[in-house]
Amino acid sequence: MTNHYCDLKNADVILIMGSNAAEHHPIAFKWILRAKEKGATIIHVDPRYTRTSARCDFHVPLRSGTDIAFLGGMIHYILTHRKYFKDYVVNYTNASFIVSKDFYFKDGLFSGYDQAKRKYSKDTWVLEKDGKGIPKRDMTLTNPRSVFQMLKKHYSRYTLDKVSSITGVSKENLLKVYEIYASTGVPGKAGTECYALGWTHHTTGSQNIRSMSIIQLLLGNMGIAGGGINALRGEPNVQGSTDHCILYGNLPGYLKMPVASLDTLEKYLHKCTPVSKDPQSANYYSNYPKFFVSFLKSMWDNKATKENEFGYNWLPKLDDGKAYSTMHMFDAMYAGKVKGYFCVGADTAVSTPNSNKVRKAMENLDWLVGENIFNNETYEFWRGPGVDPKKIKTECFLLPASASMEKEGSQSNSGRWVQWKYKAAEAPGDAIPVGEIEIKIMAAIKKLYEKEGGPNAKAIVNLKWDYLDSKGRMNVLKISKQINGHFLKDTVVDEKGVKTLYKKGQTVPTFGMLKADGSTSGGNWIMAGSFGANGENKMMKRGKDDPTGLGLYPNWSFAWPVNRRIIYNRASCDINGKPYNPKRKLLEWTGDKWVGDVPDGPWPPMADKAKGKYPFIMKQDGVGSLFGPGMVEGPFPEHYEPLEGPLTKNPLSGQLINPTIEIFKSDMDKTANADAKFPYVCTTYSCTEHWCSGALTRWQAWLLEMQPELYVEIGEKLAQEKGIKNGSRVKVHSIRGQVECVAMVTKRFQPFTVEGKTVHQVGLPFNYGWLFPKDGGDSTNFLTPTVGDANTFCPEYKAFMVNVVKA
Amino acid sequence: MNTSELIKVIDTTRCTACRGCQVACKQWNELPGLRTKNWGSYQNPPDLEWNTWTLIRFQEYVNDKGTFKWMFRKDGCMHCTDAACVKVCPSGALYHTEYGTVGIKKNLCIGCKECIAACPFEVPRYNRATDKVSKCDLCLTRLQSNQQPACVKSCPTGALSIGGKDKMMKAAYDRVKELGGDASVYGDKFVGGTHVVYILSEKPEVYDKLPKSPSIPLSVIAWKDWLKPLSLIAGGGVVVGSLLHYILHGPKRPDEDVSGDKHAEGGK
Amino acid sequence: MPEKGMIKITDGFERIVHWMLAGSCILLFITGLGMMYRELNFIGNLMGGLVALKYVHNFTGLLFIVSLVLATRMWWHEAGKFSMPEDLDWMMCAGGYLWHVEKVPEIGKYNPGQKMFFLTVVGCGALMGVTGLVMWFPVGLSMDLVRWMYPLHALGFVVLFAFFFVHLYLGTIGNPGTFMAMIDGWATKAWARKQHPKWLREMEESGKLEVYGEEKTEAASH
Repeated sequence: MTNHYCDLKNADVILIMGSNAAEHHPIAFKWILRAKEKGATIIHVDPRYTRTSARCDFHVPLRSGTDIAFLGGMIHYILTHRKYFKDYVVNYTNASFIVSKDFYFKDGLFSGYDQAKRKYSKDTWVLEKDGKGIPKRDMTLTNPRSVFQMLKKHYSRYTLDKVSSITGVSKENLLKVYEIYASTGVPGKAGTECYALGWTHHTTGSQNIRSMSIIQLLLGNMGIAGGGINALRGEPNVQGSTDHCILYGNLPGYLKMPVASLDTLEKYLHKCTPVSKDPQSANYYSNYPKFFVSFLKSMWDNKATKENEFGYNWLPKLDDGKAYSTMHMFDAMYAGKVKGYFCVGADTAVSTPNSNKVRKAMENLDWLVGENIFNNETYEFWRGPGVDPKKIKTECFLLPASASMEKEGSQSNSGRWVQWKYKAAEAPGDAIPVGEIEIKIMAAIKKLYEKEGGPNAKAIVNLKWDYLDSKGRMNVLKISKQINGHFLKDTVVDEKGVKTLYKKGQTVPTFGMLKADGSTSGGNWIMAGSFGANGENKMMKRGKDDPTGLGLYPNWSFAWPVNRRIIYNRASCDINGKPYNPKRKLLEWTGDKWVGDVPDGPWPPMADKAKGKYPFIMKQDGVGSLFGPGMVEGPFPEHYEPLEGPLTKNPLSGQLINPTIEIFKSDMDKTANADAKFPYVCTTYSCTEHWCSGALTRWQAWLLEMQPELYVEIGEKLAQEKGIKNGSRVKVHSIRGQVECVAMVTKRFQPFTVEGKTVHQVGLPFNYGWLFPKDGGDSTNFLTPTVGDANTFCPEYKAFMVNVVKA
Repeated sequence: MNTSELIKVIDTTRCTACRGCQVACKQWNELPGLRTKNWGSYQNPPDLEWNTWTLIRFQEYVNDKGTFKWMFRKDGCMHCTDAACVKVCPSGALYHTEYGTVGIKKNLCIGCKECIAACPFEVPRYNRATDKVSKCDLCLTRLQSNQQPACVKSCPTGALSIGGKDKMMKAAYDRVKELGGDASVYGDKFVGGTHVVYILSEKPEVYDKLPKSPSIPLSVIAWKDWLKPLSLIAGGGVVVGSLLHYILHGPKRPDEDVSGDKHAEGGK
Repeated sequence: MPEKGMIKITDGFERIVHWMLAGSCILLFITGLGMMYRELNFIGNLMGGLVALKYVHNFTGLLFIVSLVLATRMWWHEAGKFSMPEDLDWMMCAGGYLWHVEKVPEIGKYNPGQKMFFLTVVGCGALMGVTGLVMWFPVGLSMDLVRWMYPLHALGFVVLFAFFFVHLYLGTIGNPGTFMAMIDGWATKAWARKQHPKWLREMEESGKLEVYGEEKTEAASH
């Protein structure tokens, strides 16, 4: 979230799209309802009418996988009806920047596409710079090569008729949403968007979010109270896991995982550290080396020296151009290239797409280690349905882990609040925290390497992992402090002329004090400041004071970065630092300092040409990116159909599917686009009563009682056509597999009219597996394809094609 | 909670059917979760049961304007002032608490099921295994310890709230006014007023299993208010009548023995 | 003890069924009242608690139903049907119970009053049995239906309770000589002549009358 949960109450319009907030984020929804009580309009755009829809002002059904068309239509509406917040767009976005002459867009493809590699060269996706290296700008926004005009041109194709025909949303409904949402493009109003897996689980997932970012920038909704883009994250600590690099391409704090070609620290830092010649761009990521070197120091401490590039070469490197997502892992496992698998706190045999392939792939493993609080279908794959245990060579281990309530530590919510929690109960039996399991395994490995050596042995034997206490238990506080960072020698810091001495071993109070010379360590730079210099654990803070009245609660826990509650908050003020909306004053420049939330940097507002900075300090150019070359599909989001859809042709271009997605080619990766055998759009989801694969919740009798078994939700019309009765048993097939389940015939799925044809959509939860309960059905992911977003490889669980027949 | 009359308000317009209340109720009252089947609805268990004292009812409804609504209603004991269950309970197991709510003393329940037939809301449920009836007691022990009922405590959206009668009723009417349309307060106009009150967004008759104007069933009144005294009157009347008959008319004796048979005994 | 010359009014089976019915009925009254009036809950304590009382009531109810079925089968022929015109005549003068009647019309073994009593017991007894069983096992029936079982059960009780006292009175002090007929089966001829003259005559004529201390006259008459 750019903002945070409590801030949702400040919005005037809330667009919930790509999320079933009421069912999956009940507490987030509490704040949404608070906004509604105060008069906000709540809109739900979703293929299915859900419990969220029931509490919104209205629900607009949309065919799965057409969000970009819907949002592109909104961009078109905002630009043609001049609903954008001009002052904001001109000053705080790259609307006025000039796009390179070599950049073009033609028939669904941007310049630089390589068909064979399914990749773009981004050489032409650049903004023009003047002789000094400062981006050229046209503040009138009239230059036909300006980002603004290019944007307008790009989305001029997203007419109401076109969008309606693609999405299946009536023109009346489209206009209703566009009008209401665009009404927030004025200083006195705030609109926010809540999304979740309904946006990310698509081959165009990242661009779904990008499209909304463009809208929020156009309407001046970014960086303000009640605005922003808010990813509602399900599990209490999924934000924490991302912050601490659960994704293969990241190191802690979203630093980049090095690739093999960057074989020296210098090359790596050169590649990762952005440079701006514009004196008014703070370009905060110019500090990247400080964060990265401090990270290396946290790994190898005094073994990491300037001479050995702080151990840079001990870090494993990714092969250039290669991805390592879960789907890639199973693809490699299926090809017999992966021999051992640690499956920690996951049930991949249920949760990963194309479960047949996943389960087959696991048969190639020599060993499997599970760490979990319950047994699950993954750990038991060797005796799953249709598997002959005698033919499985895999040696399986299951290590009992303690549950979240059975251990102390921090937990990060979607609003980036890192909250300390305490142990509520002792773990049963031999169960210990997963972290402790890893530390103990690593200690044993370290001993082995010390004795026997091996590849990259120094990385392991030099590792500073001294996190066990005298009793051999994990010391959580020590780890947390290590993550926060320490001064490694006595250091004098000069802050606005005030000199402070920090002693060796003291915790670093802010990442601004991290150093690239090896004199500080910091496991995760964004967490610097979670401890005060005096060692105070700020994550434990529970102050309920709310000085702004906006629900920032600055003394409740710690929010990264540096306790900033709403990021990009300087954009809530005009170029002189005066709040655009005095009624919701998030921040104000008083002439010598900012008052309110913790500002995005101490510099004066940008009207001060000498010392002032642009508000988007983490961006190279200091402004929000309407033109965003960081994405692999192109700088402007474009609608492509899902890998499997009902159409043979993309109504907007000659490119049916996202041209940059990786196509998996194993014999188990079949697809069936616009195939009469699989005529219905299918989407998958979770339900309130279960958590994801259900591996934790299916064992809970109270929850299982409420949602006892797999079901498919089918619209009344389709059910009638197929002679399916409510509560009867049906089979759902895709080209990859099938599941048997109960039919839930409902008014909540209505057929769509797409390109003049009726398209039915059905949906299933993915919370069930064969292990328990025995008669609850098996994984819905037998149906889903192995394909993911081109940037993140987040799988396309939300749109594919199936058939439904009576069982 | 202080000992004045309490009202729990269920604002259906704020309910997201997360069913936290349904689980919290089971957790606090130590009621087991049982194996169920999906019967084509989110509503599960399908009905109130001896182990399910509160339940969210899911209902798909299209109003006369053709607008689709998915309605959620938390069902459970309404805690009537004129409680039919208390009226019929033979053992005093069901009773009115100091908060005006209807408590249940498990040890006194004899499993006669009279309350089940009497309740106009069809709330009490019988468990064959224990031969007892059970229902929500609004977490009486929690109230007595100054705690909210488990369901109210668990509600994330403010759909459930509890407090003193006057305050809650005012809040309920304010809310209904704010909602407008067909919204109404349900509960205060019958059975002497219930201690669980709904804020409904639609007309009451639209909701599944919600009586439009519930009352103590005529059968209960006929039984408890008419037949019960009548049985005494009739029984007593006959006894008195018989005595009078004996005294005034005298018994029917056999006539003088004309055939020489022995006198019947009991003669003068 | 019967004396010589008394005649047999009831046989052993009849008396057993009568007392099963009477006994279960009385126990049902007592236990039922124990549940009907909270003030009478103490009756439950005599049986080990109200739950026990409930079960005594329920299972006694089963005994009552069995007794009722037996009694109905047994007495239906003689007491279940009215025989005209003498029953009507009897009713016209209320059997001589209420005002002085010179000559009570001659009737058979059971007078219309007894017949009415019998039919009421059968009818109300059946009502009690059916409603009681439904109350005990209310599964699968609509609650609106189940609900009415209670007042119907109570209604049956009101009638039976009242009739019980009538029966008690008439069977004891109201009709001297009657009580022993249900104890040992014997009554005097005078009693029979007063109460059931027609029956007595028929019995005598057919020679079926059993007289204490005499051989049965049946064989002699043929």
